[in-house]
Amino acid sequence: MTPARRQLRRILVANRGEIAVRIIRASRELGLEAIQAYSEADRDSLAVHLADGSICIGPPPSSQSYLKGDLMIGAARAAKADAIHPGYGFLSENAAFARACEDANIAFIGPPARAIALMGDKATARRMAAKAGVLITPGSPGTVSDARTAREAAALIGYPVLLKAAAGGGGRGMRVARNPDELPDRFTDAAREAQAAFGNGGIYVEKFLERVRHVEIQVLSDGQTVLHLGERDCSIQRRNQKLVEESPSPALDDVVRARMGDAAVRICRQVDYHSVGTIEFILDAASGAFYFMEMNTRVQVEHPVTEVVTGVDIVKAQICVAQGEPLPITQDNVRLTGHAIECRINAEDPARDFAPSPGQVRGLRLPGGPGIRIDSHLFEGYRIPPYYDSLIAKVIAWGQDRDEAIARMRRALSEMRIEGVHTTIPFHTRLLDDARFRAGDVHTRFVEDELMGIA
Amino acid sequence: MLVLPEFRLTHDNLTYDDLLRIVELIKSSEQFSEFRLKIGEIEIELRRRKGAGAPWIVAPTEAAAAALLSTTPAADSKSSDLMPAHDPTARVAPTWAPESIVIRAPMVGTFYRAPEPGAPPFVKIGQVVEPDTIVCIIEVMKLMNSIRAAARGVVAQVLADDGATVETSAPLIVLDPEPTP
Repeated sequence: MTPARRQLRRILVANRGEIAVRIIRASRELGLEAIQAYSEADRDSLAVHLADGSICIGPPPSSQSYLKGDLMIGAARAAKADAIHPGYGFLSENAAFARACEDANIAFIGPPARAIALMGDKATARRMAAKAGVLITPGSPGTVSDARTAREAAALIGYPVLLKAAAGGGGRGMRVARNPDELPDRFTDAAREAQAAFGNGGIYVEKFLERVRHVEIQVLSDGQTVLHLGERDCSIQRRNQKLVEESPSPALDDVVRARMGDAAVRICRQVDYHSVGTIEFILDAASGAFYFMEMNTRVQVEHPVTEVVTGVDIVKAQICVAQGEPLPITQDNVRLTGHAIECRINAEDPARDFAPSPGQVRGLRLPGGPGIRIDSHLFEGYRIPPYYDSLIAKVIAWGQDRDEAIARMRRALSEMRIEGVHTTIPFHTRLLDDARFRAGDVHTRFVEDELMGIA
Repeated sequence: MLVLPEFRLTHDNLTYDDLLRIVELIKSSEQFSEFRLKIGEIEIELRRRKGAGAPWIVAPTEAAAAALLSTTPAADSKSSDLMPAHDPTARVAPTWAPESIVIRAPMVGTFYRAPEPGAPPFVKIGQVVEPDTIVCIIEVMKLMNSIRAAARGVVAQVLADDGATVETSAPLIVLDPEPTP
């Protein structure tokens, strides 16, 4: 099914930080107006300053502002916006919110509510992937209601298991339990974090595979044409939080890449998907076997990596699909050119176990030069609030090949200065110098088990 | 609270002189760091430069304007109509005995007394805690930090409200030292 053709005029940006800025930029390039919805903590933010207008939607805690669907729809009406862009996190994978937008005749810039309900819920998504003929990791058939049920599911699957927020994403609400004794505590932690981050504490259980890579496929569909924009390798993580992403993956050959891309497209067709999305896989690099992990029915933090190697503006494509426009490209037009790497700069102190470091940016020098792109909402004097996630900038480096991309990233990070708060720049510098990373020989536990182990 | 008692404010009779008076009143008052007023099509927003005291959290424009316009004259009243929960001057400064142990916030963040909404609090008044007892959570940038008592004692006071934003080193919980048996 193709979304109905409609020309949008004004978009309410229902998110904050760098992605809000990214959405405003895409809107402006398309000649659309962007109205920024903001909490009281974000009154003095770059997105508010850049937008064509802004509207306050509530107090700082996201549970009273950015997670409030009814407030967002009220704000869209007040601002006379005909569309809402949810960004990532917050309301982006909330099917009820997408449906409420549809009911209010406001275009939800994302997939239809039905597809979010199917794929946004991680447990249902696994069933859909299996139906599409894609391998999945062993796990509970649906969510588990409490720690006791989780333990029963884990006994069948075999330890270690991963407890995962059904509504999750971004590594929130996720815990590994290695034996039945530690499962109840891990379950409580995961459920609490899931409730705080997504307003939904549902948890499911799956087999935890070790020494694997995280490779995901960017998909793009207008309802007729379903295509993929290649992969991103996101194996550099800490506590399931991605820190570095790159495309192409150093661990994929053309055969596995084609099979993985094909699997992703089959899953999209299975659920009649349109808009942009990401299918995440676990890859066993040695055998080339991959398993469906989950689908993110929204734009991802790391989308610029794919934009840089394909030349496709993913956020603009997402808006165009929401307007009912057919995709202007086919799979044959998609080529990955060169190599791109993204480093997530977080307000965290790597020397103190990545402790959050909110505060005022007292000095700022951003890098530039050949092959460097910065997506950030920082400015000098900006106060990074303690209420939201710690991502403050994304540095994306492009090179003819992986070595050049790494060299440019190192050079860019050496130019970059953020005064007043701690950042993950020293971590990235260390990672980029590591021989195993340079050789592409990493896995999803590499940072915790190997890199940070040797101080 | 700001009032212009002789006037019934409408967009018809708000003059330039009135506007100057409003600005003067704001300038001479310590109570305001920000002021918004909307009358018909006229919208006024005044903001004091930094350094004017505690950080303020301001109600959304419409609510603030409504609060301003509906308040009865009371020249000496605090700004509590605007922001009852956040006015730093509204709360009496907490006190405790010199021998008390004060558990302070190690970081800025959101204070939670219970592990999850609706659950019983980590500690109750009168409860004996050990150094490794978790007494509260501070959420910073979506990360839940369990805070331990770090001392033995009896919970005497809980100073922060559940869900409130606390600054670094703000007093959270007061322990009375427990006499060793």
